[in-house]
Amino acid sequence: MNPLSEAHLQLTRRQFFGRAATGIGAAALSSLLTPNTLAALTASGNGLPHFPAKAKRVILLWQGGGPSQVDLFDYKPGLEALRLKELPESVRSGARLSTMTSTQKKFPILPALKPFKQYGQSGRWLSSLIPHIGSHADELCLIRSMRTEAVNHAPGVTFCLTGSQIPGRPSMGSWLTYGLGSLAEDLPSFVVMTSSDREKTCGQLFYEHYWGSGFIPSKFQGVRLRSEGEPVLYLNDAPGLDRAQKRALLDDIAGLNHHQLDLHGDPETDTRIAQYEMAFKMQASVPGLLDVTTESPATLASYGPDVNRAGSYARNCLLACRLAERGVRFIQLMHGGWDQHRNLSTQLEIQCRDTDQPTAALIQDLKQRGLLDDTLVIFAGEFGRTVFVQGDVTKKDGHGRDHLGSAYSTWMIGGGVKPGVAYGETDDFSYNVIKDPVHVHDWQATILHLLGIDHERLTYRYQGRQFRLTDVHGQVLPGLLA
Amino acid sequence: MLKKLLSFFATIGTALAIPTPPPVDYTHDVRPILAENCFYCHGQDATKRKAKLRLDTREGQLSHEAIIPHQPAESDLITRIFSTKDDEQMPPANSHRALTLAQKETLRRWIAEGASFTPHWAFTAITRPTPPKVHREKWVYNPIDRFVLARLESEQITPSPEAPRATLIRRVSLDLTGLPPTPAELENFLADKSPDAYERLVDRLLASPRYGERMALPWLDAARYADSNGYQQDGDTFQWIWRDWVVKALNTNQPFDQFTIEQLAGDLLPTPTTEQRIATAFNRNHLLNGEGGAIPEEQRYVTLFDRVDTTATNWLGLTVACAQCHDHKFDPVTQRDYYSLLAGFNHVSENGIVNGSSSKVRTAAPVLDLATPEHKAQLAALEAKLAAMKSGELIAKIRSDWEAKVASDEKFPDPAIRATAALPAKDRLELPANNLRRYFFKQVLPVLNPEIDHLLGELNRLKTDEYPRVMVMDDNQARDTFILDRGNYEAHLEKVSFATPTFLPPLPADAPRNRLGLARWLVSPEQPLTARVIVNRYWQTFFGLGLVKTSEDFGVQSDAPVHRALLDWLAAEFREGGWNTKNLHRLIVTSATYRQSSRVTPALLERDPENRLYARGARLRLPAMMIRDQALAVSGLLINKLGGKPVYPYQPADIWDSLAITKERDFTYPQSTGADLYRRSLYTFWRRTVAPANMFDASARNTCKVRTAITSTPLHALTTLNDPTFIEAARALAARTLQATSSRDRRLEHAFRLVLARKPDATEKKILRASLAKQLARFTADPSAAQRFLTVGDIPRDPTLALAEHAAYTAVCLALLNLDETLTKS
Repeated sequence: MNPLSEAHLQLTRRQFFGRAATGIGAAALSSLLTPNTLAALTASGNGLPHFPAKAKRVILLWQGGGPSQVDLFDYKPGLEALRLKELPESVRSGARLSTMTSTQKKFPILPALKPFKQYGQSGRWLSSLIPHIGSHADELCLIRSMRTEAVNHAPGVTFCLTGSQIPGRPSMGSWLTYGLGSLAEDLPSFVVMTSSDREKTCGQLFYEHYWGSGFIPSKFQGVRLRSEGEPVLYLNDAPGLDRAQKRALLDDIAGLNHHQLDLHGDPETDTRIAQYEMAFKMQASVPGLLDVTTESPATLASYGPDVNRAGSYARNCLLACRLAERGVRFIQLMHGGWDQHRNLSTQLEIQCRDTDQPTAALIQDLKQRGLLDDTLVIFAGEFGRTVFVQGDVTKKDGHGRDHLGSAYSTWMIGGGVKPGVAYGETDDFSYNVIKDPVHVHDWQATILHLLGIDHERLTYRYQGRQFRLTDVHGQVLPGLLA
Repeated sequence: MLKKLLSFFATIGTALAIPTPPPVDYTHDVRPILAENCFYCHGQDATKRKAKLRLDTREGQLSHEAIIPHQPAESDLITRIFSTKDDEQMPPANSHRALTLAQKETLRRWIAEGASFTPHWAFTAITRPTPPKVHREKWVYNPIDRFVLARLESEQITPSPEAPRATLIRRVSLDLTGLPPTPAELENFLADKSPDAYERLVDRLLASPRYGERMALPWLDAARYADSNGYQQDGDTFQWIWRDWVVKALNTNQPFDQFTIEQLAGDLLPTPTTEQRIATAFNRNHLLNGEGGAIPEEQRYVTLFDRVDTTATNWLGLTVACAQCHDHKFDPVTQRDYYSLLAGFNHVSENGIVNGSSSKVRTAAPVLDLATPEHKAQLAALEAKLAAMKSGELIAKIRSDWEAKVASDEKFPDPAIRATAALPAKDRLELPANNLRRYFFKQVLPVLNPEIDHLLGELNRLKTDEYPRVMVMDDNQARDTFILDRGNYEAHLEKVSFATPTFLPPLPADAPRNRLGLARWLVSPEQPLTARVIVNRYWQTFFGLGLVKTSEDFGVQSDAPVHRALLDWLAAEFREGGWNTKNLHRLIVTSATYRQSSRVTPALLERDPENRLYARGARLRLPAMMIRDQALAVSGLLINKLGGKPVYPYQPADIWDSLAITKERDFTYPQSTGADLYRRSLYTFWRRTVAPANMFDASARNTCKVRTAITSTPLHALTTLNDPTFIEAARALAARTLQATSSRDRRLEHAFRLVLARKPDATEKKILRASLAKQLARFTADPSAAQRFLTVGDIPRDPTLALAEHAAYTAVCLALLNLDETLTKS
């Protein structure tokens, strides 16, 4: 091998999985040598993380559809006395509504469907529907004053995950892996898993741009771990081709490529050789990751019975823990089913049952494996829901709540967040934020901060502009930090 | 004190300067520093401007003693940038921007030399530069080479020799048609000793219908073309009709100015043809949000913004989206400019609503109904049949009888339906009434009268899912346009009317004040951007990088081109030559610059890693679509049929439904059978929410994209190794090879040559022979494995081929399809 390609190999080997390399650092170096791939990366500065990070990785537990903060997190005991009374117009005037209720003539107040109770030493009020999450109440950093600009799902999710309501920008996981590179040896640095309520009661899809890389190179996009068919697209060898044969074939491809490299001198050839090698390794590491039989029965049981069903939220929580253990930087679970317009009364409880225990088990499992201290776990959806009822409240299975962007709740736990706090306040109707608002951009800025990143300095030059996750907004909220 | 300190720095600067450096060039050296570090607060956007100082104009620079030509020590700008005091230092610490010492020195020297000012080059008129004189006249094939060679000679770099002929035909065939040469084409070219053999090859390729298919690819990315809407039910569209229009326009070499005018405003031409109206679908390729609860007016504005941004990026190379909310920070685009441009798109008879709730197809008005006479006859026949049956009355009767029965049936399983049926029609509430109706038509009518149900279903399917309706433009709805406060569709500020950006040459006085005026203006001779932007993108198609690297941005923050004169010459040539796209392509690919070998030496790689001086030919990984097309072509599977409905080649079985958490429509992937499995990738159905899994590194087709990065990840390797597309292609290639010749070495050479358009050398032969032996031994030992390996894909296997041998050759062919050289044009 000629010395140049050898040098290049050293620089590029770890671009994808890269144990030692940081995304920008390695990419910037490699861009000197691989002109047609990554030249644009050099526009960003080096030196990440910008300051010592509290968290090394993120597990985002995305609760798609908009979980009802009224029913789960934002305790408003006064509402009971106002049951089915009209929500004052002065309260409603601040917020945009979706067209599903904006033409509704009456807005009767519906208090939380199930009682709240106090949890932990802090006596935090949370719904009785989420006892397992409640058992971690003293470590939760509950944000009750989230605000978003979107009133519909796809724009809302896109806004939270990419900083813009319009598809086309890099997702949070892409930003983080681009900025920080990978810790995993033979797995992608950004992994996505999806699940939904069994009945598929809601109408949304999971769009690929929720984990897309937008205008930054596509190597930073999330890789989806699938529960049906092949776990990673095209992971399995052709039928009839065994591992030894595949190995031999790859060796022959590498032999021919090395020969070309010597004749032609293009360092891209070298990168290609390395990527084929990593593909082979990944074919072994992914099945290993997915083989949950290596977990103890006690561990499996802690996630609840659903853990035995591939593709369930519970199984994905367990896999999230295993991915964290293997050094994956950003793990994004996307769970659907919270869009309860007309079926809150029947579906809320089911949805809580499906998510409460696995979520809590994940936290406990991370703790047991010594990972919770430097893993940031985030539980969030794209918006909240209205205190007023949508549909016919007299029908047991015919009512629910509409979207609400002006106030909702999310929580975080683990690496670097302040434990046991309830941050921010809403009005008596959980409708408008009255104290310590947390805009989506603030939330994003704070997440980046916990990973050691100054959100104003993690930028990517595109279309003549330095883009960032938080656009031109956002501030880190010290009240959320440990 | 500070002044003294400054003059001290200045002295150091002078002392350290290389003897007689070339004078600082404002455009190349100075403006990029100012733009990056200063314009945010001292630029175009008056609302963000600090200290009333702007540095992007000559007047601004000379005001406030910011810059005093020839007197750096007296210029406040220099004082500030060298200062270390918190309250004085520029840029301030909180801007996260900092100047390097070299940059500070450049600014100082610029002022010392007189602080020359030139407007941003891309915004000035295109004048045709004279191609420079060169020493090695013999190297030059056409004027492109003069610009390239003159620069190389000044840098004392020797260009690379011409690529071997076999390399050249593969390169130019892939570049112009997206397909490799066939063995016969290769033979003919290698045998053709006439001096214009290459030129005739190029002419043949330009005349091939495959040319339009290949050249459409980047245009479809720019036009964010897809076959579905991208939200919730992700309804299908008929925009492929526009895709066919593009391929045809490229194949017939429609002049680019006409190509522009028809797509932007074909509907506004006097007596537009159907084709011209189809062309305007360009503007309707955007995402459409039909989510329940979506606010129509908000969605209509999302669409309008997208149209403005796409037009500006695609033709002007400008990012105007910033000006939705405020004046642009860097470029002279004001918020008023933005909304004045938007006014040109604001009269479409659309309302932000997506139609077709019960269908897999979802479109939004205005649409062009392209049902053929056969379609119409089909429909009329069905309707006549239903009329003859008196279907309306019949259904009403069946329904009322059924409702009466249900109302009195206490055992009826659905109490809600029963309750509604029991009410008189006028007393039913909307939602339950809908549920009842749906129940009747879905569950009851099919049982009680299957014939009517079938006819109705057929009628509905033909009307909504089959008969093509392409979404196009019109200007049928008068609307006022307002500047929107921070881009908020509800916050109207001042009213504006259509206008082009004020910093560019104005619309002619007699031009129509609408999209047609805009389209004509974009391709008018005075307008400095379009020609530059387009020739740069074509250059990018052939060389990987544009002459301006930031092909999406020609604003003041754009990449400073190494070969600005070449770009301007090409732009002038293109425009003055009647916007003749094929001529431009011919010019580029027949240049000596293009024909060079792409071999690279370590020294050259270090000197010019990005190949911006063009001392070698381009070596680039092929786009994923072309990788697939090539595999189909070399294996003989490719079906060359031009145009038509999208097709559904192999994808992982659950590719669509595994991401759908909805029951609102069926997301089963309707995999094609037969010939449609082997069409060019251009025709693959592009679902926005889940793009085709094997099209890696492609634009997501959500927004206008004129540049895609080529990356290399293990996932790509997994795709080309394990996707059934490639395994089947390898099997077909092996069969083709086994049938062609009988000796082992000839066979290996045959397959190698089909894939790479050259013969293997001794080392390669050795590796291939050993590879085949290993695979053969294994498959001979395990015939059932061979059998399984050979069942991938729909094409039946020729049973006369020996099993183990066919399998072993298939494995080797799969390796060939995965070679770096195969995946690359070199």
